[in-house]
Order: sequence, then C-alpha cells, then structure tokens
Amino acid sequence: MEKYWVVIRNTWNEMTTYRLSFVMWRIRVFLQLLTVYFIWASVMPTDSTLFGYSRELMLTYVLGTQLINSIVFSSRTQEIAENINSGDLSIFLLKPLGYFKYWFARDLSDKTMNLAFSVVELVIFFLILSPPLFVQTNMMLLSLFVFSIFLAVLLNFVIGCLMSMIGFWSSEVWAPRFVFYVIISFFTGGLFPLDILPKPLFNFLELLPFTYLQFFPLKIYLGQVGVADIFKGLMISGVWIGILYTGLYVVWNKGLTKFSAAGR
Amino acid sequence: MKKYFRLWWIYTKAAAQLSLESRLGAVFFLVGKFLRFLLMFYFLYILLNQTKSLQNYTFWQVIFFYATFSLIDGIPQFLLREVYRFRRHVMSGYFDYVLLQPQKTLFKSLFAGSDVLDIPLLIFSFGLLIYSAFQIGPVNLTGVILYILLFINSLVIALSFHIFVLGLGILTTEVDNSIMLFRDITRMGQMPITIYQYPISFIITFIIPVGIMMTFPVQAMLGLLAPYLVVLSFGFGLIFIFLSYTFWKYALLRYQSVSS
Repeated sequence: MEKYWVVIRNTWNEMTTYRLSFVMWRIRVFLQLLTVYFIWASVMPTDSTLFGYSRELMLTYVLGTQLINSIVFSSRTQEIAENINSGDLSIFLLKPLGYFKYWFARDLSDKTMNLAFSVVELVIFFLILSPPLFVQTNMMLLSLFVFSIFLAVLLNFVIGCLMSMIGFWSSEVWAPRFVFYVIISFFTGGLFPLDILPKPLFNFLELLPFTYLQFFPLKIYLGQVGVADIFKGLMISGVWIGILYTGLYVVWNKGLTKFSAAGR
Repeated sequence: MKKYFRLWWIYTKAAAQLSLESRLGAVFFLVGKFLRFLLMFYFLYILLNQTKSLQNYTFWQVIFFYATFSLIDGIPQFLLREVYRFRRHVMSGYFDYVLLQPQKTLFKSLFAGSDVLDIPLLIFSFGLLIYSAFQIGPVNLTGVILYILLFINSLVIALSFHIFVLGLGILTTEVDNSIMLFRDITRMGQMPITIYQYPISFIITFIIPVGIMMTFPVQAMLGLLAPYLVVLSFGFGLIFIFLSYTFWKYALLRYQSVSS
C-alpha cells in the first residue's frame, strides 16, 4: 500500500512542478463552466420551472457538474495508451506493482488536486455571482450521492483503461479517444440534465454507463430520484463496472500477447 | 504574394498527406468534429424549442450565431494549425532552420501546416450559416456588408492572437496552453455574449474581444449594433494586428537558439 502512496505523492509533485500547465488547465475548465452556467442562467425563469427544474435546482445542477467533473473525469488513464505505444509498458511489467493499481493511484492524485482547485473556484464563483443554490440536508441522500460518485469514479477508470487498450492494436489512440470524449461530454449530462431529452432517448441512455458518471449522482443530490430508482441506478452502474472490468481483463490479457515493446 | 500562395499550396498538400496517412484516424477526427457540432445543435434545438428564445434571439438567430462562431473559430484552426507545432520547433531547434529559409519566418510559422480535416466542417458550417440567414427573415444589404467586414475583422483579431502566441512561444516556449486558452475563451462566443452577466460581458467584449469577434458581426447584420461599436471593432482589429506583429518582431530579436 505504501508504494501506491508514493505514486500519489509523486504525481502531486509532478503536477506542482508544471504549475502553469495545471493552472491553465483549471482556467480552461472554469471558462467552460461559465458558458454553460450563463446559458442556463439566461433561460431559467425566476418564478416558474423549465424542463421540471426550478432556477435554483438547475443552477445547482450546472455548478455540481463542475465538482463531479473534477472527481470523476480527472484521470491519467489516457497515458496508458502512450505507455503501450512507446514500449514503456515493458518497464512497468518488470516492476513489483499492480499496473492498474498504479494508474488508479495516479488517478486519485489527479482527482484530489483537481477537486481542491474546483472547490476554490466554486467558492470564488459563489462570492462573485451569488447563484441560488440548493443545499441537500437529507443524510441518506447525501450518503447515496457519495456512494454513486465512488461508483462513477470506478466506472470512469475502467472505461478510460479500456479505451487505452486500443494502443495494443493501433498507434492511432488519440482519434478514437477524441470521439469518445465528444460523446461522453454530451451524454453524461455535463451540458444539461439528461432528462430534458425526449423520453425514449432518455430511457435508452439510462441503460448506458454514461448516465451514471455525472447525471445520476447529481440527481440523487437534488433529491429528484426515488429510493427504488436510486437502487436501480446503483445496480446498473455496478453491473456496468462488472461487465467493463471483465472486458478489460480479457482485452488486457489478449493485448499482452500482442505486445512487442516496439520503441524500446 | 503569388510566391507565398504557391508555397502555402505546397505546404498544405504535404500536410494533407500527413493527415491522411492514417485514414482511420482521419475518419475518427472528422466524425468527432461533426458529432460535437451536431450535438450542440441538437442541444440548442431542445432548449429553444422549449424557451422559444435566448436573450430575445430566436432559434435561427441563435443558430446563425453558432454557425458564425464555428466559422470564425474553424477558419484559423484550418489555416493556422502550424502554430500548434511551434513549441516543438523551438524546443527541438528546428526553428533555427526555419529562420535560415528564404521565406518569411512568420508566414512559415503560421501557414505551413493547414489542416485539411477542418474543411468538411467549415463547408457544413457555411451551409448552415446561409440556411439560417434565410430563416431569420429579411436582412438589408448594409447589414450583410457590415457582417462580412466584421467577419473579416474577426479573422484579423484571431490571426493577431496566433501571432502573439508565437511571440510568446519564442520568449517562454509556452504555446500549447496559451493557444488552447485562447480557443476556450473564444468558445464563450458560441452564444451571444449578452447572456453573460457584468463584469464578465465587459471583459469578454473590450478586454478579450470575444464579443467583437463572435457577436458583433451578427448583431451588425441584424441591425442591433450601434455605429460607434462598428468603428470600435475595426479599431480593435487594427490595434491588435499592429501590437501582435510588433511583439513578434520583439520576440524574434530575443530568440536565443538554446535548443540548437
């Protein structure tokens, strides 16, 4: 366990070494939030609801995506593909550490740093613009919210690893990831709550893993999902983690037989 | 001028061959770009279908804003893609070689790597722009002329930013973050900047001229832009190109060729 703690610390050091890059990255994330926030702030009525959301709930949702984003989507798994393509994977295979545990530790480090910045950004945002916020006080919902985020972290990690496995078969890893990123940024509910989509499309999306990365935890926080639906959602999320993890295991083992450490 | 157009054509053909080297990659990039464009369109459709307007702009007006943004954002990306590789050139010492070539260093650093993969989306955006313009309703000729002039002015401002980033690249090797930051800031102009609250709206109009670049051309076409703001926009364009070119020359004189 201690070695993974060292990995976490090293990743932190790495990030603080390239401070400017990280700060620039955070500014960029913040700018994206501004656009989404002001689109919704400009259309949400103050005295009625739109798409079943009051102004307070919608703006809380939008600001919540910023927080969830930093926890769930901050990831280093894209570097796995570079690792495979450059042949550097062979070095890791010789080291006495679990390859995926290593990357999960790096992910955790990335997440904590991003989360810390995200909280500061939101505090500044709140102090300047004073948006109406909904504060959830129900402890059970808060616990389920935290648990759903935990599952989302695992789900995103497995998805990220799987995407990087393309590296075993192709050096073209960035292009498929770009398409995937476009899909994810739309269908996870980062731009809008998914339930404003037409019902059949939303029902279909509920069966896919993307819904559980961002939209579902925030709906739990807002108290807009019944207990039965929460457990159904957590179950679907868990099943996807199981399926994708199994897929990752199979693809990883297949990939290793193809791996020639080209480039090393 | 003719020589540089021919050079650009040669560079673009070479860059196209590189881009299309991996056909699968090219297809993925194209799909991704179109998907991002269409999903945003779909979101606006769902939103405005319910709200009927965004800051008093109708659906087709908002789409016209969006198509204008896509073109003003996309044309520099297509033409000035070489800027994204500039850091590598400075870091590797390749820039020394560029300086020795019998062509303008700025031309080579800006235009030598046009990305043909941007062309399909540009054509599509242009089609959407024309279609949405017809849906908006009658627009007078003055509005159209002002739109075209301010559109060109926006491209000049975008060019100025890219030149400024090149200068910054020479002095600090900081290019990637700066250019991505510029793109994210301009992305705030996907929607009319009137949606932003003061002081953000002021900052992104008069300090970082996103509003001038993305919103003013459309407002001018719709007859919603005060004449003094039209004059101010051109003033900004001229000042920006002058300052960025001066900065580029200043940076070039301080290039130390450390990597060579």
